[in-house]
Amino acid sequence: MNETLLTIKNLHVQYTSGGQIVRAVNGVDIELKKGETLGLVGETGAGKTTISKAILRILPDPPAKVTCGEVWLNDVNLFDLPAREMLEVRGNKIAMIFQDPMTALNPTMTVGNQIAEVILQHNDISNKEAMKRAASMLEMVGIPAMRYMEYPHQFSGGMKQRVVIAMALACNPELILADEPTTALDVTIQAQVLEMMINLKQKMNTSMILITHDLGVVAQTCDRVAVIYAGQIVESGTKEEIFNNPLHPYTIGLFGALPKLNDDSKRLSPILGLPPDPTNLPEGCSFNPRCPHAFEDCTVGQTPEMIEVTPGHFVRCILFRKESVHHGISRSQTS
Amino acid sequence: MALVEVRHLKKYFEVASGTNHAVDDVSFKIERGHTMGVVGESGCGKSTLGRTIIRLLDATDGQVLLDGEDITHAKGRELRRLREKMSIVFQDPYSSLNPRFCVDETIREPLEEARRFTRAEISQRTEELMDLVGIEDRLRMAYPHEMDGGRRQRVGIARALALRPDFIMCDEPVSALDVSIQAQVLNLLMDLQERFGLTYMFVTHDLSVVRHISDEICVMYLGQLVETAPTKKLFDQPLHPYTKALLSAIPSIDFSKPMRRVQLKGEITSAINPKPGCRFAPRCLYACDCCHEPQQLEEVEPGHFVSCCRVREIN
Repeated sequence: MNETLLTIKNLHVQYTSGGQIVRAVNGVDIELKKGETLGLVGETGAGKTTISKAILRILPDPPAKVTCGEVWLNDVNLFDLPAREMLEVRGNKIAMIFQDPMTALNPTMTVGNQIAEVILQHNDISNKEAMKRAASMLEMVGIPAMRYMEYPHQFSGGMKQRVVIAMALACNPELILADEPTTALDVTIQAQVLEMMINLKQKMNTSMILITHDLGVVAQTCDRVAVIYAGQIVESGTKEEIFNNPLHPYTIGLFGALPKLNDDSKRLSPILGLPPDPTNLPEGCSFNPRCPHAFEDCTVGQTPEMIEVTPGHFVRCILFRKESVHHGISRSQTS
Repeated sequence: MALVEVRHLKKYFEVASGTNHAVDDVSFKIERGHTMGVVGESGCGKSTLGRTIIRLLDATDGQVLLDGEDITHAKGRELRRLREKMSIVFQDPYSSLNPRFCVDETIREPLEEARRFTRAEISQRTEELMDLVGIEDRLRMAYPHEMDGGRRQRVGIARALALRPDFIMCDEPVSALDVSIQAQVLNLLMDLQERFGLTYMFVTHDLSVVRHISDEICVMYLGQLVETAPTKKLFDQPLHPYTKALLSAIPSIDFSKPMRRVQLKGEITSAINPKPGCRFAPRCLYACDCCHEPQQLEEVEPGHFVSCCRVREIN
């Protein structure tokens, strides 16, 4: 579990839209160990999906452009690979589970053949062998192999998502990028799918980046959490650290805005204002216009550096600089 | 007296493969000033139920009473008068606003439709409403595409409030919004309720939202009402096997308590040509022969209704 599988260094991605530059990802660093699950949490437009597409190099270029950064899988920089070799990585070493199972499957192909296609692409085996393996993948995600020849429209949402997961796992990838894998599903089905994903991941010792906006899903599945805001990671640490001791005002705000199942307070504490416009990010800390603790230093210069507050718990906020007065913000003060 | 009362309401749709029993024999009451949460998974008929109650759909059978008056078959002028008493906030603030109407036009449309206000009154009321829901005056001439989801939903709420309704049916009003914005809109809805004594029916699939906002909750499964109770009671002591499974499936942000999920077998089936009896039975842990008989909604404790023939044995 201590070997590093994926390292992202200083990733920057921009989109050009109507002559304007949209700064979607602004310097993201991620390190992921073998067998580990990292939860990437943030709101719409924070850049979560862009990061995962950048890793797989499937961003549409133009309009998207990776302006800076490296993505290392083991000891290969994926950004240096020729396109042909990248085909060997996609679906084989890194697989992606998309948010919407209704659109991720080909409606004109049987579900079994869609799984077999991935297997054939990456293995030198006969059609018959590939079909056999595809059938056993279906069984693994709890779909009877006799439904191999059925089409996606004959499946329910939860089953379609399981087919997508079977497809992602078919080549035994080292890394799974799961982009909101259960958002389109109902709670009882979501619980089934999450449980299945956790079991399969443990069985195969796969690493996973789970992108979601649902803190409940993170709490139940992840080892580490990175909170992303305006294309930057603002706080990262173990799940326990982030949930029990959130430090960044944005993270604290997210928890305050959530209706809780075990809390009877009648008013929620929403985060004031709106997410920033990525074509025109504020100077200094991107969160400063919405932050209840912002002062002059927050509104000038570059975005703050990541500060390691306790070993492994990083926060991007100048309140935690050693030389600055300790403001001692806590969850109780903001909520 | 309850503001809204639903008696044995049914709404069936004819589809290619048979009859879809989208809402099947649902009865409940909503007290004035209360919020009734309706939860259930997609396709369980919760939106259809809401739309049938406010007469956007015609009931197949049963009765809807508003303030003691049977409105199930109201027509013409009478229905227009009723329309002023009930309104709706839609799920998707992107598709429920006319893209060619600016904020001002959207909010004044119901006032003009009412045909009893002068121009000056309409302008004044529009201004009041924008202020009420927290839309800045500079956005008066803004079109929906110029606004974010939270603001669009505020416009939708202002439109719903225009004619001072008693009853608002909120159909997943915060599902399309991010958590930080969702909290703003939920707070707004609760403030408005307090100020004007509004009665809400709040349809959602998000159980933590429904717990936060509701006084009572109805749980639906495939068109049938399986359990209804005051919110606290329902969450503390769910009695129907489906409610138990549903509540246990919510991923909790408290990871020290791992999910102790009540295992459900199988998938949600459909409400097309259903067999008589409990529709949850094929997935239920406690199903037996008696579950194939039609079920009665039974008052197990005061205010706590459950539709399950084995409710006393299994609890």
